[in-house]
Amino acid sequence: MASRVSSKGKGKAGRGAEDGPTARFVKEWSTWTMKKAKVIAHYGFIPLIIVIGMNSEPKPHLSQLLSPV
Amino acid sequence: MGSSVSHAANPPSPPPPAPVVGLAGVLPPKTEEKGETKVDWLNLPCPVPFEEIQREALMSLKPELFEGLRFDFTKGLNQKFSLSHSVFMGSMEVPSQSSDTIKVPTSHYEFGANFLDPKLMLVGRVLTDGRLNARVKCDLTDNLTLKINAQLTNEPHYSQGMFNFDYKGKDYRSQFQIGNNAFYGANYIQSVSPHLSLGSEVFWLGHQRKSGIGFAARYNTDKMVATGQVASTGIVALSYVQKVSEKVSLASDFMYNHMTRDVTSSFGYDYILRQCRLRGKIDSAGCVAAYLEERLNMGINFILSAEIDHRKKDYKFGFGMTVGE
Repeated sequence: MASRVSSKGKGKAGRGAEDGPTARFVKEWSTWTMKKAKVIAHYGFIPLIIVIGMNSEPKPHLSQLLSPV
Repeated sequence: MGSSVSHAANPPSPPPPAPVVGLAGVLPPKTEEKGETKVDWLNLPCPVPFEEIQREALMSLKPELFEGLRFDFTKGLNQKFSLSHSVFMGSMEVPSQSSDTIKVPTSHYEFGANFLDPKLMLVGRVLTDGRLNARVKCDLTDNLTLKINAQLTNEPHYSQGMFNFDYKGKDYRSQFQIGNNAFYGANYIQSVSPHLSLGSEVFWLGHQRKSGIGFAARYNTDKMVATGQVASTGIVALSYVQKVSEKVSLASDFMYNHMTRDVTSSFGYDYILRQCRLRGKIDSAGCVAAYLEERLNMGINFILSAEIDHRKKDYKFGFGMTVGE
């Protein structure tokens, strides 16, 4: 009875001894991945668009990227 | 020399009229103006996407009103790739708990890069305070499209992102959405007649354990569009757009929020003329707004925006210029 109550209250984490560390590990690993992916997307998205654009046909010149005309 | 008209190539003489056979000689000929009276129920057109069900009404009634100065410069490097620079100086409204409007003077410079390909679209905008707006649209197959929409900030826990998977069938569309904060949504819209399409959506918010369901209907002909939406969050939204002529459309909109007992209705017009586009609207909350985009020259547009809220005594006027396509 006590274990059923505790599992309802805690959700996934308190289900059983063998699931606990695995579920926690997956959750921590996915949080770490999402944080790194967010930083990579934040800094790398605009450079990615510029690289893809500069390599598309017809290839624009680097001076066209920087000059205001 | 005489006339140079050659008679060598005679125009072919018109073919003799076909003999009239049977009943066709007795009944009057079928006129073309009546149009197709028989509906092909197996070949209905594909409906608009669910989130664009009120697209005509939103385009006419909700222009991007702003206060202050706006200057946008778009420079195309080739057909698919362009960079944009945008400067804004003015006041932005901060949502506040009380009924007073709090305006904060802001100014920012926004740099953007766009890559537009038939199969892949990448749009990114970054502001001076480090906020990034990213939009990606990728056609994975002929019918399946992936769309990603994200606003990333430097402050923790303020970033938002949404992944959408769209599937387009012959006369239906379906979409599945995954967002941050464990948001899951799905919607489906189906054409049931050449003019009428019905759709529904469900969503589930993981962190707050909230879920909702909504239904929508859209009836459109060449001259008018009428839509209605009902959601379990207590919102009823109706809209009607009538295209009075090629250049003029009139639109009206009604929204009722059952939770807050809030009723708003607005009525507006949209003039699309050769050199300008003028949109104006009046609201039941005592708000009158107008938005003018005037084409001064090829690629140079002048923008005026005005919003007068009589009830809150809030007057917003803005002007700007857009250079580039």
